Amino acid sequence: QTTLRLSHWLPATHPMHDSIVAWGKSIEEASGGELTMEIYPAQQLGAAPDHYDMARDGIVDIGYVNPGYTAGRFPIYELTGVPFQANDGPKAGKAIHEFYKNGGYAEKEMGDVYFCLVNPHNPGRFHANAPIKVPADVKGKSVRPAHATMARYINSLGGTSVQVPAPEARDAISKGTADAVTFPYEAMKSFKMADVVKFHNDLPLYLSSQVMLINQNSYDGLSDTLKTVIDDHCTPEWSEKISEGWSTYDNEVRQEILNDSSHEVYEPTAEEVTLWRESVGPVMDAWKADAEKAGFDPDTVLADYEKALEANGVKY
Amino acid sequence: MSEKDLVAAGGFVVLFLLMIVRVPIGVAMGLVGVGGFGLTVGWSPALNLLATSPLRTVTDFNLTLIPFFILMGVLATRSGMSRELFRAANATLGSLRGGLGLATVGACAGFAAICGSSVATAATMTNIAHPEMKKAGYPDDVSTGVIAAGGTLGILIPPSVVLAVYAYITEQDVGRLFVAGIVPGILAVFMYMATVRLWYGGKLPAGAPFRLQEALGALSGVWAVVLLFAAVILAIYFGVATATEASAVGAVLTALIGIARGRLGLRSLLESLVEALRTSVAIYTILIGAILFGYFLAVTQVPQNLTQFLIGLDLGSYGTLALIMLLFVVLGCFLDAMAMIILMVPIVFPVILEMGFDPVWFGVIIVMTVELGLITPPVGMNVFVINTIARDVSLVTIFRGVLPFVVTDVIRLILLIAFPIIVLFLPQTMG
Amino acid sequence: MTPSRLTERVITVVERVAAVMLGLVTLLVFVSALGRYLFASPVPDAFDLSRLALAVAIMWGFASLGFRGNHIKVDILAEMLGAKARRVLDLIAWLGLLLFTILLTWKLGGRVLSQMPGGETTMDLRLPHWPFLACVVAGLVMAIVTTLIRLWLVLRYGEGLEPHETLKQDEAHGAGHE
Ligand code: NA
Ligand code: NA
Repeated sequence: QTTLRLSHWLPATHPMHDSIVAWGKSIEEASGGELTMEIYPAQQLGAAPDHYDMARDGIVDIGYVNPGYTAGRFPIYELTGVPFQANDGPKAGKAIHEFYKNGGYAEKEMGDVYFCLVNPHNPGRFHANAPIKVPADVKGKSVRPAHATMARYINSLGGTSVQVPAPEARDAISKGTADAVTFPYEAMKSFKMADVVKFHNDLPLYLSSQVMLINQNSYDGLSDTLKTVIDDHCTPEWSEKISEGWSTYDNEVRQEILNDSSHEVYEPTAEEVTLWRESVGPVMDAWKADAEKAGFDPDTVLADYEKALEANGVKY
Repeated sequence: MSEKDLVAAGGFVVLFLLMIVRVPIGVAMGLVGVGGFGLTVGWSPALNLLATSPLRTVTDFNLTLIPFFILMGVLATRSGMSRELFRAANATLGSLRGGLGLATVGACAGFAAICGSSVATAATMTNIAHPEMKKAGYPDDVSTGVIAAGGTLGILIPPSVVLAVYAYITEQDVGRLFVAGIVPGILAVFMYMATVRLWYGGKLPAGAPFRLQEALGALSGVWAVVLLFAAVILAIYFGVATATEASAVGAVLTALIGIARGRLGLRSLLESLVEALRTSVAIYTILIGAILFGYFLAVTQVPQNLTQFLIGLDLGSYGTLALIMLLFVVLGCFLDAMAMIILMVPIVFPVILEMGFDPVWFGVIIVMTVELGLITPPVGMNVFVINTIARDVSLVTIFRGVLPFVVTDVIRLILLIAFPIIVLFLPQTMG
Repeated sequence: MTPSRLTERVITVVERVAAVMLGLVTLLVFVSALGRYLFASPVPDAFDLSRLALAVAIMWGFASLGFRGNHIKVDILAEMLGAKARRVLDLIAWLGLLLFTILLTWKLGGRVLSQMPGGETTMDLRLPHWPFLACVVAGLVMAIVTTLIRLWLVLRYGEGLEPHETLKQDEAHGAGHE
């Protein structure tokens, strides 16, 4: 009889919490009740940016980590946050899993933990209190970015990144600290932002991909049967599956906003999309420089990532 | 009781033992937190908590407004704003019977509007108002009692360091909580003034007759306080600035005004910064420890079980609320306000939500409850501080003088529990 | 010069450096807020720089409190006891503080050393965190020393701890004085 403590930082009301619970249930059942999950939501056991260290150090057995919260720490993984790579959430989860884990990068960058799952949300977009139709519209604006790579993107467009925790993003907009945010649609509901941002650029932009990591000792201490149960739940297929609930919810919220006449959902023209895609150049260059500094060949890494995205039909 | 419950209960026992032998409260909580986590989960992960959590606490941007507000209060004190407030209040109210007492309450309220700490408000008013009241023939128990009670306005009327900490712990909007403190604060001012008149009025002398010229002259000195309150609280209310920005603006403006009026030199500026730093560090130490202790409690699942237990008692929402408040009053017998909020709020907060109470309203209620602890024996911080400044007045005398105000506080609490709208009306008008 | 006076002098310097840092952080947030409001351009990295610098100030201040003894604590039993018993209490209390500070320095210091240079960076300018963290650890090392000195002063000379939130006479008179 083994109990595994799993910690994440989303509120228990978030759709992702349900997906994590369901995943845990599946593990319990597959183990014939030998493995049980104790799930701690809402940062009860530690702050969101500390979750990697918590999983590595055994403070929890399983940690749900956003590598984007700690800029510079996982240079390869930061590629998954560069805009215009993947155009879907769940399938990108499978692709990133194949690229990062099966391609051996996880071993190099997160080698001190057992790498289990990838969980991206649906592509995030610009949501603002005034129109942002083209990249030039970001200039002079204060934007709350989703993660470090998006912060770099905002800065490269001549905007200013405003760092506030996600739950305070609404406040930052209503107080004028920020003019815009980058989020998936779902945040309009879960962070109650729908009444302060009325403009939505519908162009799918970037991913923010969480990972599920298991403490190495906790994993090594399991019997071979239980190890197999865990292995079976840490597959590219599970990365896709665990991401579906969040994605479905995101699509529902997008539809609600489309139906709500008080919101403007802007569909960029083909020329505008080209402008947006070209605007990512500096961010991609910066990422390449980081990857090179970390001892990787950026072009190989990028090619590997693109191959995985293509294989899953989600290459932008 | 499960093994985890036993470890948790033992944790509380050891915690109180360590605290009673004078181990700093934050350190006691940190040691027990790590120790308890070690027993429950394992020693290596428990020690590793120290590698992440304390650093996260001291680098948390959401907490930076606490040192800023503390600094603002220290600077306001050092640049003599409290004295001006007292002069203005006295010029306006002093001619009434018990006028000096009324003026003291008024000055405390004014100072509370720019200072986030009760102890600081009580301390500065003791220096200014106590000698004046003594000269006018006020009995010691009355004068110190008024100051002790008036001082508690410091954490009710915004800005308030205790409300800021409450907001942090419960993830509520600090601006909303500040605004929620305004009306109860004004109510407290009127009730304290009424207490001065109705309870003590008969034996208090009237001051010099009212002179318009003098009153206008004195009032013109308090523009700085009005400006600062506007820059901070109104900016928050109207959504011009976040609470953190407002706190930094408040601190810098206070310094600039002090320098411009020649009341703050380089030396006193430095001393103010040192004083604010010491107070901030003391609060951060408690926060570091409380967060570690909280992780220990979380893995023992005590808060969850306690919630179930309290709900299972079936006392109804108000019965449960009363029980929680009683717990705070009892703890207030030897813990200070900040420590109580940081230690106990995370444990009882889920229950409050479960009972359907408004978290902003509960913040104000619980701050008023811990305020009671500041002026009741055996440990009443405001009373202690007054005692260290007014050396010739005994603790017993001060506690005796503050008694009628305790009665007023209880009445006010009952009022706000019966009519939550008094608290919630103003924040509900915010965007 | 007595050990107590000497330490007092060193601590005063440490404390003042930390206090100035607190002042600078306040200014940084002020300027950034103003910049945002007036010119729609906050200071880049104001968020990360202010919280990291404040952490340094707090930890250096922690060293000061380890010496002075004015941490928030329950003084009620100490005040009921005689001088001798109180000295025992102070010794136990400060041993507790010492233990905590040593553990914290060991674990946090280990983590910071293991990732320097390198590791996390700020969001906008991508400045490394580690110089700030190294200063935080330096504050903790100082705190071990100052706590030890206080322990020795209690043991050898019977010098007690300052109760918190009580003002010294000169400060009390200074407060509110113009
Ligand atoms: Na106040
Ligand atoms: Na008390």
